[in-house]
Amino acid sequence: ESHLQYERVGADVTMKCGSMDWDAAVTWTVNGTDIDESHLNGSYLILKNVNLSQSGQYSCYEGSSWHLKYQTFLRVGTPPKEPVLMCRSNNYPKGFYCSWHLPTPTYIPNTFNISVIHGTKDMVCEKDAVPKNRCHIRYLQLFSTVKYKVTLTVTNALGKNFTTLTFDEFAIVKPDPPESVVAKPVPNNPRRLEVSWQNPSSWPDPESFPLKFFLRYRPLILDTWQHVELSDGTSHIITDAYAGKEYIIQVAAKDNDIGTWSDWSVAVHATPWTEEPKHLTTEAQITETTSASTSSFMAPPTTKICDKGAVVGSGAMAVCWTAGLVVAAYSVLFI
Amino acid sequence: SPTGDSWGIFTFLCAALCNLPALPALNCSEELGAGQSIQQTYDLTRYLEHQLRTLAGTYLNYLGPPFNEPDFNPPRMARAERVPSATVDLDLWRGLTDNARLAANYRAYSRLLCYLRVLDGQVGTAELRHRLAHFCASLQGLVLSIGGVMSSLGYPLPAGPAGPPAPPGAHAAPNDFLKKMDDFWLLKELQTWLWRSAKDFNRLKKKVPPAVVTLRLEARGF
Repeated sequence: ESHLQYERVGADVTMKCGSMDWDAAVTWTVNGTDIDESHLNGSYLILKNVNLSQSGQYSCYEGSSWHLKYQTFLRVGTPPKEPVLMCRSNNYPKGFYCSWHLPTPTYIPNTFNISVIHGTKDMVCEKDAVPKNRCHIRYLQLFSTVKYKVTLTVTNALGKNFTTLTFDEFAIVKPDPPESVVAKPVPNNPRRLEVSWQNPSSWPDPESFPLKFFLRYRPLILDTWQHVELSDGTSHIITDAYAGKEYIIQVAAKDNDIGTWSDWSVAVHATPWTEEPKHLTTEAQITETTSASTSSFMAPPTTKICDKGAVVGSGAMAVCWTAGLVVAAYSVLFI
Repeated sequence: SPTGDSWGIFTFLCAALCNLPALPALNCSEELGAGQSIQQTYDLTRYLEHQLRTLAGTYLNYLGPPFNEPDFNPPRMARAERVPSATVDLDLWRGLTDNARLAANYRAYSRLLCYLRVLDGQVGTAELRHRLAHFCASLQGLVLSIGGVMSSLGYPLPAGPAGPPAPPGAHAAPNDFLKKMDDFWLLKELQTWLWRSAKDFNRLKKKVPPAVVTLRLEARGF
């Protein structure tokens, strides 16, 4: 039967060929490849200062008969370093979740054990299927004066390690960022942008536990942000935008009274409304300018037909010219 | 021991004071007419929470280690149960009627105020006494404000603590360390109550439309 052994990186490993005598004649293979006799001490295989690449299946065969006498799977790894643990309540007052990871891989299987103590009570943190390395707890009581103590222990064949977090109920409250952030220009207002968003869907009770919001915005061409804090409502109109400049906008959320700010939402871009440009690169321009000055509301449909950048070739010019005539005709009718 | 006796006397005085009806406060709100602002009460709790942070820092430093260590997390002992706890079952808290919600706040702060006043008489430094006195005055304002909201909604004010006052020395801490533990828990419960009240008044805000009226807070000379 095949064995399994775990060894530390840098260790010296001695493998015995099962019950064979020290002076028996044997051949060792690793993953099917013969191992040179220089690594043998009698029938023992000596591996000094093992590294990760030496993990594999080691087999020992009796010299003449080539009977398989011993087989083992060697896995080289490290004992676990202190794990990194984080606990957060993004669904207050329902409960909180904890997630963890190892700062460096061990290259061998690890098991994690998490314990949560609240005062004298042991609580069960239910492991999530996805993502792994995460568990959640439901609050049984609210407004507790006693801290929660979470201990995470990680164990593998080569050792164990642990870390502990102690916190108050209100200290770990951090909502998810606001969702569905939308920014739109405001018609006929060249310095305004209308921003709206929604409460994060993970926040279960915004009625009793209202969120407040922080909005930040800047034109793409500048580095410094402008900030606005909003204590209620899920929309805001920016009134000091630079005309014609594209803006980048983000929103963050926080419980009105406790905890910390969420991460910033996904960034949205928007440019304030600008009056439609009246210059075109065709002959029709001249006709248009005269008609446009008398009836400026006609300008937009014209530019749709004659896109600034698309005027190439006589065909397009003809269309533009015709459109210009039509526009002129209509404007005369309206005067 | 002398310290035990003075603690006992203070407890007795405190219980006696607490049994006085808060009726003078009622006259104040009746003069102002309809509806108190729940929003204002909410704002008061936020202000007090802010004040408490400074006060607690100073006081815990005065108590010295381990009380002023951020990791200090002692188990809750039976004697600490005298201080009203804000901790409540989640579903129970959700299901509280407006009356019950307000009454719980009123009772808690009335008692906490009592305990704080006892503390005020005992602390060493002048700075601490000054801060405590200021905080007590603000806390009294909160009690009056809650009382005002209750009256305007037609709810009766909760009666004083039930039963006869405890005999002097009954609840005295047997030693200096345990006395400091009492103080520690008092501040902790106060902090938790202020944080809970913000949530209580958020809920009330949605259910009861606020009527904005200015509340004159007169010192009642306690």
